[in-house]
Order: sequence, then C-alpha cells, then structure tokens
Amino acid sequence: MNPDTPWEQIERLYHEALELSVHERKAMLARASSAVREEVESLLDADSGSGLLSTPPIHLAADLLNGQPGGLAPGHPVADYEVESLIGFGGMGEVYLARDTAGKPVALKILRRHLIANAQAVDRFETEARAASALRHPNIVTVYEFGESDAGLFIAMEWLDGSTFRAIMNAGEVEIAHAIDWASQAARALSAAHAAGILHRDIKPENIMLCKDGVVKILDFGLARHGRPVGPEPSSMGSSGTISGSLSGTLLYMSPEILRGEPATSASDVFSLGAFLYELFCGKHPFAAETPLDVLEAIECRPVIPAGSMRAGVPLEADRVILQMLDREPDSRPAAKEVWEVLGQQRTGWL
Amino acid sequence: MDPQGEVTTLLAAWGKGDPSALNKLMPLVFAELYRIARRVWNQHQQNNTLQPTALINEAYLKLAHAESASFQDRCHFFAVACTAMRQILVNHAKSRLTDKRGGGRANVSLDEVQQAVDQEAAEIVALHEALEALQTVDPRKSKVVEMRYFGGLSVEETAEALGVSIGTVNRDWRLARSWLIRQMNRESL
Repeated sequence: MNPDTPWEQIERLYHEALELSVHERKAMLARASSAVREEVESLLDADSGSGLLSTPPIHLAADLLNGQPGGLAPGHPVADYEVESLIGFGGMGEVYLARDTAGKPVALKILRRHLIANAQAVDRFETEARAASALRHPNIVTVYEFGESDAGLFIAMEWLDGSTFRAIMNAGEVEIAHAIDWASQAARALSAAHAAGILHRDIKPENIMLCKDGVVKILDFGLARHGRPVGPEPSSMGSSGTISGSLSGTLLYMSPEILRGEPATSASDVFSLGAFLYELFCGKHPFAAETPLDVLEAIECRPVIPAGSMRAGVPLEADRVILQMLDREPDSRPAAKEVWEVLGQQRTGWL
Repeated sequence: MDPQGEVTTLLAAWGKGDPSALNKLMPLVFAELYRIARRVWNQHQQNNTLQPTALINEAYLKLAHAESASFQDRCHFFAVACTAMRQILVNHAKSRLTDKRGGGRANVSLDEVQQAVDQEAAEIVALHEALEALQTVDPRKSKVVEMRYFGGLSVEETAEALGVSIGTVNRDWRLARSWLIRQMNRESL
C-alpha cells in the first residue's frame, strides 16, 4: 500500500476525528506527527461556530439583477432636471445629484422602473412625496416636485450637504452642547410634522441628517402616513400599513406598541426619537442586545438606565425628558412639542 | 455555426482536453446565464426565489443540443456554468465594494438591505480568494464548493457532475468548509 501524502493523512484523520469524542480524538491524534496533528486540530476548531456557506448569497444576487448598473448616465434629463451623479441607493430606488434649469443642485430620488409594477412601492413613494411636500419646515427636507419621467417616478428635493446621525455617532462621542442643540432641532421638526397631522413612523439616526451649516433635517417620510394628530389610526390601516411599516423600520427604534402590532401614533414617533436621543447623548443604545430576540425583550421589559448614569454631564432635564419619551406606556410620553420646549430651554441655558 | 452547435462542439473539445475551448465557452455561458437570470428575476421580483440550478439547466437547454449531447458534455457544461456563476457574483461583489460612493453625503439612508448586500459582497470576495488557495491544495474540494455554493447544485447533482459518490461530496464539503473558515480567519488577522 502506498503511504498517504500528508494532505491525505490530514483528510483521513479529520473525518475519523469527527466521529470521536474529544477525549478519543486526543488519543488518536497523539499517534500522528506534530505537523499533521496541528493541521487536523486547527481544522476541527474551524469546523464549528461559523455560518460560512450556510446560506446562498441571495442578497448579492438580487442586487446584481435589480440595479441597472451605474443607473442613469450624467447628463440624463429627468423632467426639467439634469442628472449629475449617483450618490446612493436604497431598497426602493436611487438618489442622484442633479441640477435644475437654473443650475441649482437638487437631490433626485428615482423609483426603479421594475418596482413600479409593485403597487405598495408606488404607494410608499407617493406617500413620501405627499407627506414631505405638505411640510415646509427648516428642519424637514423640502420636496420641490413629484412626478413621472421616462426614467421612472421621481421626487426632486432639497440638496443636503452633510452626514446622517448614524455616521456621526459611529465617528465617536458627541459633545453635550452639540447633543442638546441637535436634539432640540430634531424634536422641533417632529413637533411640526405632528402638528400637521403627519406621522413619520421610521425615526432612526439613518433618517436624520446634520448639514454642514449645523441644521438638522429629518428625511425619508417613506413610511409616513396622514393620520390623526393624536390617537390611533383607522383599524383598516392597522394590518397592512402598520405591520409592513414596522417591519421595514429598524427594530431598535420601534416602540413596544408597534412591536405588539398596534397602530402607530405620534407617541410611537416620540419613543423612536427618544431611543435616538438617548444614543446621541450617551453613545449607547438603550435597548442594545446580542440578538433581535433580545432586543425585542429589552424594548418590552428591560429597565432603561438613565442616560445621565451612562455618561457624566448630561443635563438633568434632558435626562428626565428622554426617560419619559422611552416610557412603555404611550400616554405617559411627552408630546414632541414638550420635548422641544424642554430641550430648547436647556439649549438657551447652555449657550 | 449556430450558437447551439458551437457550444456542443466546444464542450466536446474541452472534454477531450483542449483548454482553449473553455475560454471560448465561458463568455457564451456567462452571457446566457446573465440574460436568463435577469428575466427570471423580473418575473419574481417580489420574492427571492432565484434558483441557480434552474438557470443553469435553462442555459444548458438553450445553448447545447441537449438531445444529441453526451452525458459527459452535460457534466462539463455544469462545471463551466458554475464557474461562470462564481465569476458573475465575484465581479459584482468587487465592483460593488470599489464603487462605494456618497461617503455619508447622500440624502438617502442606506438601509438594512444595502448593508446586507455589502456584507455579503465582502464575504464573497474573501471566500473567492480562499477558494483559489484551496484549489492549489485540493482542486476537487474547491470545485465542490464552487458547484454547491455558487452554482446552487444539490449534493446529488454535484456528485453526478464530478463523477464521485454522494458520500465523497459530503465529506469534501465538510472539510472544505473548515479549511476555508480557517483560511479566511488567517487572512483577516
């Protein structure tokens, strides 16, 4: 019989070892040369605890087939705008930097053509356009126009130069004075939306931007819906609107009532904003946990440690109002307007 | 020559050991797979029911004279198609990772779907490199992973295409997986 090559030996011992208990493995491998033994042991170690190859690369395959690579070419006309460059893409469409006839920059959000057959996608796109265009507020992204062109449905909106709060918080700790200023602007925007009877329903740091001039803007009213300013929406919307809406949002910023499948109210937006403000002030998420299931449990019943106990220097009033925003009982949460008032006072006091 | 005849001839030539046939075959298979995948995707845009095996089968029916082709030609075709699938995905992953634009400047939230895509893209590029290393140690194991993971072939189909037993495919897969995980961990240190 030909002796095994080292690789063949490793292979044979590896499969034999898989059948044995840890103790038996040791005894068996003791008979092999040290080089072979090390190889087999490191392979056995790698055998567990990784999800590699366990699921096919469906997301990548979908993305490959979904997008027209590169999207619209520079110079492509969309209604009265001219595309300059692709700046981003999300699940629903692409966003371009474009110029209007006067040469002013605009952000052009385009719904991918093949999604137009999907009624829900169109509905969501239109909702975003209508909700945001009904709002004129310095802290809410301004929508100029909504329409259809040969490239697809489009929304032309204010061009914002800045970063999302996700990126800002990832970059490191935020100064308390800045946190107060930014938090107060965000609360002011939400208060204006609620006063106009519009819920956002997907408040999270990815959807709030800080512009280079220091102005905070809320964007992405894609899940927003005209609802009553206060109180639950009609139950007919509950099953389709709320559930799909809540699944599209990020778990970490969802209120306990949304997780239970109840309709969204202005108080649910306040809860989501509260989770973001907590993170902004102390750099930790109030419901951070290992797995999605643990996050659900944390939102449902884990006591919130006050932000002021997590980081020194958080003003008492801000600490208190954030804790109230995270109250599990929607009726006990302050309105966005009250949050704005409290933080606004802090801001004046601080500056 | 019509494309079907061309593919059949190339498959036969490659089966007889002409390596240049593979270079001519690959672009034909590549283009066909991409075209079919796009069409299937447009029909099933709502759910992620993209089945690589179904694509490969369809491409085979389209490209080869299925009735006159030999069993061996069919095995060769599957091998080529899985390599093409791997190339398509790795190319896309690489372009996705290099073209990252916007740098936080965009009025758009890159949502969870996009994060999942980026994560997969990075994993696939790392996996592809690890597979190239495995190819030098044990070419058959690297082929098993390519067929099962990138081509979406079942254990049975992989065994048939490689002319080995089902048990061998299972053992190859298990060891290859450990080997690749170890390799990728080392590379990321």
